[in-house]
Amino acid sequence: MIGLTGLTLMLVAIAILTLGSVFSFKYRRVGFYAAIVALIIGLAACRSLYYGAFIFAIGIINLVSLEAIKSEIKGVDYGLVGLMALATMYIFNTSDLALVLAALVLVSVPTYILVMIREGGANVEVGIKYITFMVFATILFLIGAIILAYTKNSFDGVLYILGYVMLVLGLSLEVGVAPLHEWVPDVFTSADPIPISIIASLAKIVPFIAALWILIYTASALTASITIFTAVLAAISMFTGNIGALTSKEHARVLAYSTVANMGYVLTCMVVVIKPIPEFICFALVGGLLMLFANAAGKIGFFNAIKGEGAYSPLMYLLAFSFIGVPPLMGFWGKFFILSSLVKVGLFMAEAGYVYIALAALIVINSAISIPYYIRLASELGIGWKANLTNFIAVSAVVIILITVVPPNWFFEGVRALARTIGVIV
Amino acid sequence: MIDEWLVFLLLFLAPVVSSIPIALAYKSKGWTEKLPYLSVFGIFVSVLMSLYILFVVPKNQQFVYDWVPDLGINIVLITDYLSRYMGVITALIAFFIAIYGLDYMRGDYRPSWYWFFFNLFTASMLLVVYSDNLFLLFVGWEGLGAASWGLIGHWFRDDDEIAYVGVPKRKVGPLELSWPPSFGGWRAISTIRFGDVPMFFAIAAIWVFAGTLNISEINWESLFLTIGCAGTIILLVLLLLGLLTKSAQVPFSEWLMTAMTGPTTVSALLHSATMVAAGAFVFIKLTWYIKPWELHHVPGLNYVYIFALFIGLISGLYGALSASGMLERKVLLAASTMSSLGLMFGVAAASYWIHEEIAGMNFALLVAFWYMAVHAFAKASLFLVSGHLIHATHSRFSVGDFEFGKRMKTAFGVTIIATTFLIGMPPFTAYWVKSGMDEVMEHLIHHGMVIPIVLLILTSLVYSAILARFLSLNFIKGEKPEHEHVEGGGLMKLGYVMMVSMLFVLVYLIFTSAETAGFVHAGFIPTSFAVGMAILVAYVIAIYKPRIPSLAKLGAFFNDRMYLPFVNDYILPKTGFFVSHLVQDYGNRGIDGFFNTKVMPGLFERISKGIRTIQTGYLTNYVKIVLGLVMIFLVIASIGGILI
Repeated sequence: MIGLTGLTLMLVAIAILTLGSVFSFKYRRVGFYAAIVALIIGLAACRSLYYGAFIFAIGIINLVSLEAIKSEIKGVDYGLVGLMALATMYIFNTSDLALVLAALVLVSVPTYILVMIREGGANVEVGIKYITFMVFATILFLIGAIILAYTKNSFDGVLYILGYVMLVLGLSLEVGVAPLHEWVPDVFTSADPIPISIIASLAKIVPFIAALWILIYTASALTASITIFTAVLAAISMFTGNIGALTSKEHARVLAYSTVANMGYVLTCMVVVIKPIPEFICFALVGGLLMLFANAAGKIGFFNAIKGEGAYSPLMYLLAFSFIGVPPLMGFWGKFFILSSLVKVGLFMAEAGYVYIALAALIVINSAISIPYYIRLASELGIGWKANLTNFIAVSAVVIILITVVPPNWFFEGVRALARTIGVIV
Repeated sequence: MIDEWLVFLLLFLAPVVSSIPIALAYKSKGWTEKLPYLSVFGIFVSVLMSLYILFVVPKNQQFVYDWVPDLGINIVLITDYLSRYMGVITALIAFFIAIYGLDYMRGDYRPSWYWFFFNLFTASMLLVVYSDNLFLLFVGWEGLGAASWGLIGHWFRDDDEIAYVGVPKRKVGPLELSWPPSFGGWRAISTIRFGDVPMFFAIAAIWVFAGTLNISEINWESLFLTIGCAGTIILLVLLLLGLLTKSAQVPFSEWLMTAMTGPTTVSALLHSATMVAAGAFVFIKLTWYIKPWELHHVPGLNYVYIFALFIGLISGLYGALSASGMLERKVLLAASTMSSLGLMFGVAAASYWIHEEIAGMNFALLVAFWYMAVHAFAKASLFLVSGHLIHATHSRFSVGDFEFGKRMKTAFGVTIIATTFLIGMPPFTAYWVKSGMDEVMEHLIHHGMVIPIVLLILTSLVYSAILARFLSLNFIKGEKPEHEHVEGGGLMKLGYVMMVSMLFVLVYLIFTSAETAGFVHAGFIPTSFAVGMAILVAYVIAIYKPRIPSLAKLGAFFNDRMYLPFVNDYILPKTGFFVSHLVQDYGNRGIDGFFNTKVMPGLFERISKGIRTIQTGYLTNYVKIVLGLVMIFLVIASIGGILI
């Protein structure tokens, strides 16, 4: 059934979303329910239940959080978030470069509109800043991807390296890796927290998976030597993000820099991509995904707390501990798998392995640097219990990071099976 | 036939278990008056067990019970010559002193504390004696340290001047030369700690390099050859630091002098069969198994034994000379103990040059061990007597004229026996052992060392004089005591009479045992006899003239232990304060400056300022930065790509 349903079901879901958005001009609620229905259909079409379920959960929480804001395009915003979630779910269903890139664009473009949402009008200034860089990022990414795909068929060393660098730069600009992160602190602090919680969570997943997917497919003999570039970017991003966050006072700005740091952690997964060793790639993939999920849940929880002027204190601390990497929360497992993959590759590469081991050490050092500001964030945003939307969203986010109390072997197995079916690993 | 493990269990645990009830009943006056008998019974059980081990349990056998086999830490007990005899000596002496203590400690303000630590002291020493495993030995060793602290500082309230050492408020330079019990306890534990830590590291090193901690199984030769000349010296000196501090050899002797602040029973036990004896005993035991006389090809070993030889002999002379100026009964005896221990160390160290064996045992080590045995009973007797004298005269300084001596007949008699039997006067017990000692030191002349025999004879003469002086000033020619309380003390008398009677047993053993035949032989050598006669003369002169007024200043210098307390109480603490100030002022400031105030925070501040200055808020600036960076990266990538 999947053979038929894969793309077809997705198209059906998109059709429902579109209709829901159209009807929402008349009946606002329709947009919300249409989005939910579309996500359920999308989940049914998803190849991996675990992965799909995580995206489904994050998508639903994002949708619900939109309730906290009275936007001028109420109804359509549900459709946009639904579209992003569907594209994110679909990314693992395909092994077609065109569809992967299409998914990237589908996740990226809705955020152009979402970022401008504000109560009573549109936040044009932020929109311009954001869109300028996103367009640039998307172009770099697409050109890089296409160049890499070209070298897959007729190899050319210079082209391969150019393509690789462009792809990684595009990705960095898109998700906010230092030193290309300039837009992040400005946009995160001046836009409304709710759309930012979506941009900081759901929108980060597809670019990474797409980049990883392309890098794995096009990996060549040069990959192992060019990864040093990505490693340096990752290291710069970790330090910039953490030191920036450590010395910032405004909550949204702290979270902006925390995003920069987290994207640095996730970028280290790209470093692990050296063709012939599927086991490492699988570790890196699982680590990156768990890291992205933990980041998504944490950002949703914290940004909603900013919007709602505080949330229940223990929930805030749990989210902070997950970011820091305290076991058995999800943030710990994300870092654990990333560190494992780095150490494994490091040992495998023998003499050249010190880069990987050093990178692993940097992750640990940076996790330590991050402790004070996450704790500070939790203590400043934490308040007593109130039964409101903010706390409902915070509880949902905490449930996600608590899932890994059961050690995520199950997720590892699921992702490995998934990676096999789409041919990422043998 | 009883199982060996049961015997050993009773031997070690009976004293401890039997003293737990009194420790628990510390609040009840009624119970604390009765329960000491149980504690003494516990020690009596140990005596029986030690005798059983001596006569029944097979000789030279190891008994192994696993503990942490992966680290070589096991309960390994051995019944070699040294352990079997030393075990009996320890248990017997502790038992006699315990009987004496029933009388002596009556009415004390904390009997629970006293009996618990007294019995723990005994059990710890027994563990040291029978242990073949260095770690197990160290457990007993630490037990000795803890118990000695508890007992020396027993009168922790410092409220009775009779427990002090030194004349209160007497100042020499910046230092007050008087020590209360609490300070005495502290001085003991801190000095011993100073030696225990290096010893612990030495034991760890032995495990690393030899692969076993069992003294009798370590292949010392290959161990020394593995770690080389410097390694051998470092290892053995670290070990020796533990032994020398425990045995109060120079320059670590100060704690022993102020250990006299404890009850006299404690001094007696501490000086004869436990604690200070432990250091010398372990040195003899290690040398017994190292067999240095067979290892002359091992580089470095000779330096260590020369070092031990001279530390011992110098301590011997230092202790005897210091005692010669002292009037405090117990402190005088303490200094003489230190002197005796020095001789034990010296003679045991001389075994390096002595190949002569009797019944398969090294002659020098036999001499050292037998001297330890004779000294133990004699010195314990003298201490017990002096405790009785302190009770009888209410003074810790030597007082007592002939009238007083006649009223204290038993004590007088025991003192005569103990002193004459200990100094090496022919034909009493120690004479035969000391003759052996003379022979050993004489032999060193063949190896180009004349000084040892000179030091030995000098020490023996002074030693003889100080004990005679003790006798004379307390019973014959001393001042008339202000208080006299000569009645009672039955158990005390019983204690020291039994103790001193053991010296007769020892002289009998010397003449009947195969391994001591060498002593008897040495006793009939003319030079030994000449030395013995010189000792006799010194003894008689000192009895006749215990004080020489014209030498009062020199006596005061000796009484102040040649100002060694300054090292302990002035130079070392001042150095410590200096170092700690140095660490606080410069070390901490440096660390603080690096992590907390200057370097790291400055670095963070600069980076964070850099990160912040980029965020101007102007889109054009951002675009310039991003475009510029992307272009730079692409150019570098292109060039890099072409080069690769």
